[in-house]
Amino acid sequence: MTTMIGTLRRQAQTAPIFSAWIIFLLSLLVVGLISAARVLWVGLDVTNLSNTVPWGLWITVDLSAIALGAGAFSLSTIVYIFRVKSFAPIARIAVFVGFVGYTSAMLALVMDIGRPDRFWHPMVFWNVHSVLWEITMCVVFYSMVLVFELAPAVLESRIVVQRFPRGPKLAHFLHRFTPVVSVVGLGLSLLHQSSLGATYGVLVARPLWFKPSLPVLFILSAVAAGATVTLGLTVFYENLVRERQINTRLRNLLAAFAGLMMLAYLYLKLWDFLATSYYSHLPARANDSTLLESTTPYGVTFWWIEIILGALVPAIILLTPRLRRQDIWLVLAALLAMAGIIVNRWNVTLSGLVVPMDWSPGAAELFAVQKYTPTAPEWGVALGVLGYALLMLTLGLRYLPLFPKDDAHH
Amino acid sequence: MGENNATNGGSEKTLTRREFVTIMVGAGATVAVAAVLADPLNSVAQSLLGTDTEVNAEEAPASTGPRWGMVIDLRKCIGCEYCVFACQATNDVTDEMRWNVHIMDETPTGNIFHLTRPCLHCNHAPCVSVCPASATYQREDGLVVMDYDKCIGCRYCQVACPYGARSFNWEERGDTPNPRVPEWGTPEVERRPRGVVEKCSFCIHRLDAGLARGQTPGVDPEATPACVNICPVTARYFGNLNDPESNVSKLLASTPTFRLREDLGTDPNVYYIPPEGLTI
Repeated sequence: MTTMIGTLRRQAQTAPIFSAWIIFLLSLLVVGLISAARVLWVGLDVTNLSNTVPWGLWITVDLSAIALGAGAFSLSTIVYIFRVKSFAPIARIAVFVGFVGYTSAMLALVMDIGRPDRFWHPMVFWNVHSVLWEITMCVVFYSMVLVFELAPAVLESRIVVQRFPRGPKLAHFLHRFTPVVSVVGLGLSLLHQSSLGATYGVLVARPLWFKPSLPVLFILSAVAAGATVTLGLTVFYENLVRERQINTRLRNLLAAFAGLMMLAYLYLKLWDFLATSYYSHLPARANDSTLLESTTPYGVTFWWIEIILGALVPAIILLTPRLRRQDIWLVLAALLAMAGIIVNRWNVTLSGLVVPMDWSPGAAELFAVQKYTPTAPEWGVALGVLGYALLMLTLGLRYLPLFPKDDAHH
Repeated sequence: MGENNATNGGSEKTLTRREFVTIMVGAGATVAVAAVLADPLNSVAQSLLGTDTEVNAEEAPASTGPRWGMVIDLRKCIGCEYCVFACQATNDVTDEMRWNVHIMDETPTGNIFHLTRPCLHCNHAPCVSVCPASATYQREDGLVVMDYDKCIGCRYCQVACPYGARSFNWEERGDTPNPRVPEWGTPEVERRPRGVVEKCSFCIHRLDAGLARGQTPGVDPEATPACVNICPVTARYFGNLNDPESNVSKLLASTPTFRLREDLGTDPNVYYIPPEGLTI
């Protein structure tokens, strides 16, 4: 810790921009901590959540962070299970992004539940019938997988090796189990990344949600965006340190993988729309859609941000050799994919909640469309989680060997 | 696949006829087995997970034990909200978190009618299946109840309940006075802590205590939900749906009734007698 602070102090003199960045991130964390303290002290009353819209911004943060961390399992699978050697240099950064994503999600979740002191209850009081129980178990175990997969990078880092010279040896030993651990990680990820969509998809009373496509849409979008973000972050980092970390071939392969997954996501999303809203007419769903279109911006953001800017444009960038050759386009694709995921998770969550469920037997229109705008403490906690994620990414890229030393100039 | 020719052959050689046929037969058999398994697998998985108990409960003979239910006569309800207030006093519920609510609805021909809605205590309650900590569960007597000590406050049950019958404790209530006390009764249960979800319990404390005393819920007021006792027009009936002689069973046998959103398959234990002009 002291060396880290010492290094940071030296940084302040030699790299003022880096220091300014760290100060900015720390201020985000301070905002987050103040907001979190308020939430924990007063309760969820400080949010704009209600009995009719019980989920909002934090659930969006949680879902987005887990989705953006999906590069970890998909790219680990390619490297450790399918043993595609050329992808190996991206495995560690992917796992690290996953670790940051999952821990961020947990932070958001702990703030969101009414009794954070009971976060462990699902692990003890099982309800195998609940998708949320399955998600909780999977996320807990998968986080352990991520810690295991990340351990070698930590053990090989300079900070650890200085104090614990046998770190790399232990890392090498741990690394031998990676294929087995990856299989477990793949299973857990396939389950919970899909179940997060099923959380909504299984609710029969909400026609906008109740469909079997949601689990698949969730995992496809997560794999596509997760890989895109991992690639974009890598390219961004290459520009920071002015040195290539992955060779052109891997960069093209990654872009093609992410782009094809993005196309697969778009394809399913198109057919989801066509099958549920165009070629068929389920009165309950049609009514809710009409209500949504006429009273909220979700329809506009669905087409423009989720589909066009968040998926189609990134897919085009990733699959066009002339564009993906340029760093700026790849970083842009990553930012757009990120925005696409966040807006998608927000839209899925809020669209199903703001449209009222009509349980009255009569003809009167008794239930109004709900509004939800997050309060300052809600934004504060979200910013704090963002600050945590960015700080972790910064420190990780700075102090952990996340890219192989010798693989840069192939 | 039966023989190892495929792996020995190397990548340049194409499949022999024998290998090709073997693979095709293998694939066909796999599909056939999968198709056969697909349906039974469901019940096998259910029995493995122990989730078939509710199926058994349903198939069990009607005489095994009580199943508590309510009948609300919408022909009689005048919308006085006495049941709403009595519930609030008895169970110490705030105005914002009402377990039992009143709405003013209208028939297709424009006639106003009043409807009150407690928790419907569904036999296939979405809130029960979604709870990640089994903090809400259905007892064998049909009551869908909360274990406030288990609830983590994730609010998935609120999202899942089709009837909006669940309230969350957004803040610590402390000693804030209850506006319905003492006019409508005195609290008989503890206030719920901040951060947990709560709901109508059919006055479970009265039921259980009354049964222990040998009383009959729905007949003896001390063993009957507060909302039923207070109704000035006797629009609410409570009793054992499994007992053909109970008042609720007799009503159900003699009068057409409906349940809220039956299309959702939640199978509620609260029945309504429609008001004039409303056909369900």
